[in-house]
Amino acid sequence: MKRLIQLVLTFFGVYVGFIVVFDVLLEHAVIPSSLLMMYMFFVGAGVFMVFTFTEESMNELTAPIKALVEDPSKKMIRNVVFLLVPLAVGSYAYAKMIPNFEAPLELRTIHPAPPSSVKAYGKRYDLMTLENPYRKFEKEDPEKFKKYVKEGGMVYVKNCQYCHGDKLDGRGPYAEGLNPTPLNFQDVGTIAQLQEAYLFWRITTGGPGLPAEATPWLSAMPVWKDFLTEEEVWKVILFLYDYTGQRPRSWESE
Amino acid sequence: MKTGMRTLALGALGFLLLAAQPAAAKPGNAGNGEKVYNERCVWCHGEEGDGEGAGGAVAKYLNPPPRDFTSGMFKIKTSPFSEDFPNDADIFRMIRDGMPGSDMPGWKSVLKDEQDIWDLVAYVKTFAELEDEPGKTVDYGTQVASAPESIKKGNKLFHDGARCSECHGEEGKGDAIKKLKGDNGERTWPRNLTKPWMFRGSSDPKDIFTRISTGIPGAQMPSFADPKSKKKLSIEERWHVANYVNSLAKTDKTVRAGNTVVKADKASGDLPADPGDPAWEAATPSTFYLVPQMIYKDRVFKLSNDTITARALYNDKEVAILLEWDDRTKSIPGDKDAMTIADPEMGEDRVAIQLPVAIPEGMKKPYFVKGDAANPVNLWYWGSGTAETPGNVRLGNGTGVDSVEDRDAAAVGLKAKGVYKNGTWRVVMKRPLVTADAKTDIQFEEGRYTPIAFQNWDGSNGEIGSKHTLTTWYWLLLKPAADNTPLIAALILAALVLGVEILWARSAAKRKEA
Repeated sequence: MKRLIQLVLTFFGVYVGFIVVFDVLLEHAVIPSSLLMMYMFFVGAGVFMVFTFTEESMNELTAPIKALVEDPSKKMIRNVVFLLVPLAVGSYAYAKMIPNFEAPLELRTIHPAPPSSVKAYGKRYDLMTLENPYRKFEKEDPEKFKKYVKEGGMVYVKNCQYCHGDKLDGRGPYAEGLNPTPLNFQDVGTIAQLQEAYLFWRITTGGPGLPAEATPWLSAMPVWKDFLTEEEVWKVILFLYDYTGQRPRSWESE
Repeated sequence: MKTGMRTLALGALGFLLLAAQPAAAKPGNAGNGEKVYNERCVWCHGEEGDGEGAGGAVAKYLNPPPRDFTSGMFKIKTSPFSEDFPNDADIFRMIRDGMPGSDMPGWKSVLKDEQDIWDLVAYVKTFAELEDEPGKTVDYGTQVASAPESIKKGNKLFHDGARCSECHGEEGKGDAIKKLKGDNGERTWPRNLTKPWMFRGSSDPKDIFTRISTGIPGAQMPSFADPKSKKKLSIEERWHVANYVNSLAKTDKTVRAGNTVVKADKASGDLPADPGDPAWEAATPSTFYLVPQMIYKDRVFKLSNDTITARALYNDKEVAILLEWDDRTKSIPGDKDAMTIADPEMGEDRVAIQLPVAIPEGMKKPYFVKGDAANPVNLWYWGSGTAETPGNVRLGNGTGVDSVEDRDAAAVGLKAKGVYKNGTWRVVMKRPLVTADAKTDIQFEEGRYTPIAFQNWDGSNGEIGSKHTLTTWYWLLLKPAADNTPLIAALILAALVLGVEILWARSAAKRKEA
């Protein structure tokens, strides 16, 4: 009996461990139920192998089950167990088979690989070598740099905050009505991971300029080359990094 | 020991309560406030604090426009109506928590040190040269708890002599017949009281009581505590009205996060063609946000209608979709009443349902605004009509934002009927499940997840042509009628398990005997 309880406890202990780590500690981090199911299958198989490694341990494990079925003194418990098991199996099958009408899951790449060049303003820009023409003033002429950042802020507040928000957190007044939701620039996983040339590509060509894996048909990002000048785009990029305190990635820093 | 624990618990509770409330105003340092202001607030509220950020461009595009601090007036305040200016804690709260339904976010996630917010309060006050604060709040008397009896009294007071309904409408949807203006001449609209997410100062009865008591400075909402007002209310009466208004804000037409599917139940008989048909009550409503079209020219920035609610039903032959949206104005170009309330250049009120011509096999869908060349969409339009021509239905096939081909709606059996009542449009659109040509029109299939999107025009908000609101893609599902398969399968499985158990028990018993 002890061995059987140990086995069950080990199995569910591991399961609870997964839940604690992924759902509680990491606040609903990504572990799809299908993946968890697969993990638990291996856990179950492993635990079973350990517990039945020798014939002795195998017997020890099955003894209480055998006793339950064969021992006449345990007839009452047996009847109860034999009634509960089919009920549990039946209701599980029912719950699994009933259609839940949840929307199909759609996955998309948030930062797809950029093309090698981008066409805008009647020119072709090589994204491998493209740099923000205003970035150099950060060192050379800080006063001038501040002025450009401020001009970028004006571009932002007139054009971008409706969706990306006054706090640049991707939670502007219309953000909730969009899918995909606007990017949160405060997050260290967004612009801090990207080069300024990448932002130039994303801003100028907007949603329709995305490759298929990033679902261009869903993105509400406008094609900004139709509304903003080249200078305005570079200035707003300066502002995004300055306001959030992030640094763009560059070839030198790698 | 025990009392010690209790004191500790009480202390902790008290601390929590204190932390949740804006503490009594702390003296703010305007110098530091200016620094924070120039970093965070200047963009919209401007260097002079006059709400003319970015050279006045922001005020032009936002509804409501950024607050002009030079007047010293703030819409959401708790000081009595006799005081023009707010308490410091009022300004503090607006900065910390923001104003729902406006562009002003809550800054507590960025300004983590509350002292920064108090410093901002001090600096913001300097624009109007405000020094002291009134230091008094509205007299709340004894709060009347929300109960059916109180709500009923509040309902009566709300409608008595059109006290509140004059502007807020019969059903509280803000469907005014009056053109309202703010102190700076900007257009303002009475609150739609059935939309709690738009209440700038929350829909909690206490906040509503405060608004009723002190009015909204800088706008036309008066104080109902003013003894000189013909419509004045006692403290108790104001609690009844607050409870009534709070009850209006409980609605099933709210956006439920994660709900992306309009589920159509299968009906046995004919589908309801009239928007008022009680058969619609059985259909589940799904509400989605409408977003201004800012993607291509001409764009619209000031939002009027912010949500749309869809229900659907189908039978063997047809699918019917009921769309509902609150619109303060019934826009009928040429109609005299409609023209007085509308901004210049009025269009019809319109709505469109967008569906892909071909239900996608994989993830790829048509572009969410009017499709694209390779993936066309059907657009089912309904318009409120003009004074000369009544409501109309139109069909278009979209292959891009600027290319929608007009088609004959009657040829595919598309029908629509719309009714406006007390601030809400209800429009039913109906079409056969299948049509003659699958190349040009969607063929509905039971159980298939079908992308669906909506577009909406408030003609009195200058929404004409490409100026409209829209939703992203959601889903329409013609829900297959429930059958018994899962139940039968579950029973068979349970019976099998039971059978095995019985066999096992029997063989065990036999072995024992032997």
